[in-house]
Amino acid sequence: MSTVAELPAGAGPAPAEQLAARWEEPRTVRAWFTTVDHKRIGRRYLVTASVFFGLAGVSAILLRTQLAGPEAGLLSPQEYNQLFSMHGTAMIFLFATPMLFGFGNFLVPLMIGARDMAFPRLNAFGYWVFLFAGVFMWASLPAGAAPNGGWFAYVPLTDEVNSPGLHLDVYTLGLLFLGISTTAGAINFIVTALKLRAPGMSLNRVPIFVWAIVATSFMVLFALPALNLDNGLLFLDRRFGTHFFDPEAGGNVLLWQHLFWIFGHPDVYIIVMPALGIVSAVLPAFCRRGLVAYPLVVLGVVSISIISFGVWAHHMFATGLPQLSLSFFSAASSIITIPSGLQLFAWLTTMLLGRLVMRAPLLFVIGFIVTFVIGGFTGAMFALTAFDQQVTDSYFVVAHFHYVLFGGAVFPILAAVYFWLPKITGRMFSERLARWAFWLIFIGMNVTFFPMHLSGLFGMPRRVYTYPEGLGWDPWNLLATLGSYILAVGLLLVVVGVVHALRRGKPAADDPWGGDTLEWATTSPPAPYNFPVLPEVHSLHPVWDPRTAESVAAGAPEARTLAEGRQTIRTSELDARYEQPIEMPESSLRPLVAATGLLVVFGGLLFDWYWVAAGGGLLLALTMVGWLWPPAEPT
Amino acid sequence: MTTDRLPDRRTGLIGGLLLWFGVLGGALAWTVHALAAWSIDELACAAGSSEVAGMPLRYVIGMTVLIPAAAAVAALAVTCLAWRRTEPGRAGRWRTSQDAGSPRAGTVGHALGRARMLALVGLASNLLFLTIIVLGGVATLVFPPCQR
Ligand code: HEM
Ligand SMILES: [Cu+2]
Repeated sequence: MSTVAELPAGAGPAPAEQLAARWEEPRTVRAWFTTVDHKRIGRRYLVTASVFFGLAGVSAILLRTQLAGPEAGLLSPQEYNQLFSMHGTAMIFLFATPMLFGFGNFLVPLMIGARDMAFPRLNAFGYWVFLFAGVFMWASLPAGAAPNGGWFAYVPLTDEVNSPGLHLDVYTLGLLFLGISTTAGAINFIVTALKLRAPGMSLNRVPIFVWAIVATSFMVLFALPALNLDNGLLFLDRRFGTHFFDPEAGGNVLLWQHLFWIFGHPDVYIIVMPALGIVSAVLPAFCRRGLVAYPLVVLGVVSISIISFGVWAHHMFATGLPQLSLSFFSAASSIITIPSGLQLFAWLTTMLLGRLVMRAPLLFVIGFIVTFVIGGFTGAMFALTAFDQQVTDSYFVVAHFHYVLFGGAVFPILAAVYFWLPKITGRMFSERLARWAFWLIFIGMNVTFFPMHLSGLFGMPRRVYTYPEGLGWDPWNLLATLGSYILAVGLLLVVVGVVHALRRGKPAADDPWGGDTLEWATTSPPAPYNFPVLPEVHSLHPVWDPRTAESVAAGAPEARTLAEGRQTIRTSELDARYEQPIEMPESSLRPLVAATGLLVVFGGLLFDWYWVAAGGGLLLALTMVGWLWPPAEPT
Repeated sequence: MTTDRLPDRRTGLIGGLLLWFGVLGGALAWTVHALAAWSIDELACAAGSSEVAGMPLRYVIGMTVLIPAAAAVAALAVTCLAWRRTEPGRAGRWRTSQDAGSPRAGTVGHALGRARMLALVGLASNLLFLTIIVLGGVATLVFPPCQR
């Protein structure tokens, strides 16, 4: 909670002091639970998502250890099912998306020159819901009740007859719970980026990373309802005996797949898109020049986000739909390589025309490009329906999507970790440690996943807990398992590197890399109010532009200092013309209480304690009433 | 939207609905095409019929290709026009009669810069979406509608 400094009459404080008092983040326990600062919330997203990544990673190591040789007995089939289901579900829902939202939370307000997100309390609420939903799902694993139907949980394998027990209830409820957080975050990003951009940051001056976050948020808003609907219907089928997916009672099993992939295919881009945005943010700093072909990269972002919605049925080539209707999806699936290729060429040209400065973040970007291109290539092979029929549900698919997801999400995320670590923590990292980590990860990743293409082509199906000797799969599996150990060591080195930086790192300069976007114009780490004076933007590269620096220098107008209250500037959507200052909320316990109410609701539903669920709903409703109640007007 | 009234005739397109049609028209047309063509084919074949409202299925699907394709071409034409009209002057800056000395100096250039970028993005995206629609159309010539 911030307090206004008591001042003797007549002695007006300097704006900087006034701002500090207004936006103060006290170091108390209460403040820890009530903060609405986007930077603290962003950091929490990053840390929490990393923990879930660790858990999913440990699951993966267990899976790989079990598969190292034929007829191994480390895991029972039931344990194997739960582990790969939790691994996939957690990697997608609890790691990749929240991690990228974490970067978005920390960076979007800084990049657009604002003081916070548009709805700071909703933001805090979103974080708590994410945390609780993640714990809700992981807690089922030690209890032996974790989801066991794979990350896409195909019906009828997952109906109450074929999958008794709580497993799939945890899955459906957990994802519905989590969806609340993701939706809240998406709305917040959209409004923030449309309404709070610094004066002068018209659409053609918006950083690509912000474009990517906004496009992703729109995708979330359009895709997630399909998943929520799917999970809602499945929960009803399982608990209350409805028959949405039951063909014997007039339901339709394909309905699950259609709805799932209407969400699921865009979701791949929901994960990859912000990662592409990261790449476009990192490159200019290490190439010492702006990104080439800015409008075309924007085109790539926008059109990928649209096309990805129209191609869901390419996951369903094996379900016996008419050739003609499949061809409508084939055309779009292969054409999506054009906007992706556009971005790739923009990056390569930027690197070609710039002066490359080889530092760890750039290494990870290059690792991303190499891996992602291989993954995209094997993906284009699936657009050939005949090939798709051949390798569907084999390890070839596992290999392909790990190249896409590991290449497309993990490498850019690691680039982002190193790139923004100085800004987030105010400390520099050890370049040597970072390079070791990179090479171990890069080599480990390829040694893990490349052999899977081969075992897949030789017929090894995915989701098997063991296999007999002598089918020609043994050497590839052993190799993949060794690779995963190398990979694990590399990832641990990243953690070591971050801890080392926090403990021993040299203090970071405000702009250690010479970046071009506004976050580099603030201190490292940024003050709670981000910018003492909100900048006026004059170009696509505000930090490289002297006019923008001038706009925050001495003599800046009071309208952009806003030291009177806890305020930021609202601007017009398209051209970012100054509209008016708007008041930002103080910190509050309500987001946490509301999220707790939701946790009670979902816990109650899970265990059939409907009265408990109703109690949680009441708590949520009361908190919301208090939250939305208009504050008394100051007189 | 709070785009100011722009005094100059050649900037009439900016911020208007027409520009947005240019930017998003192709995407919309393809969305309509994909959903209509796919669902009509699926539903008609599942019902075991090869006609929709008395018209052969093939022709109905042909229309779900041709009409959206025409819309995408129209959007393409609009973006071409917008691209040409937002050309900056020789110095690479946008100037209008009102620009010099007015308190809003520069804001018109602002809007023009944004409109020109949108026009370029729309130009490319309309081409992209038109291509997808046409490829879908080619498939209707090759496959009989209900072949599995
Ligand atoms: C850290 C290194 C990783 C290793 C060693 C690993 C290993 C594996 C293995 C062995 C499987 C196959 C399970 C089976 O079909 O029997 C699998 C499945 C999967 N992995 Fe990973 N993985 C890793 C990272 C990731 C990442 C970063 C993501 C996503 C961001 C991811 C997403 C998935 C998904 C979605 C599945 C499918 C689960 C299912 O079939 O339902 N994995 N992983
Ligand atoms: Cu897909």
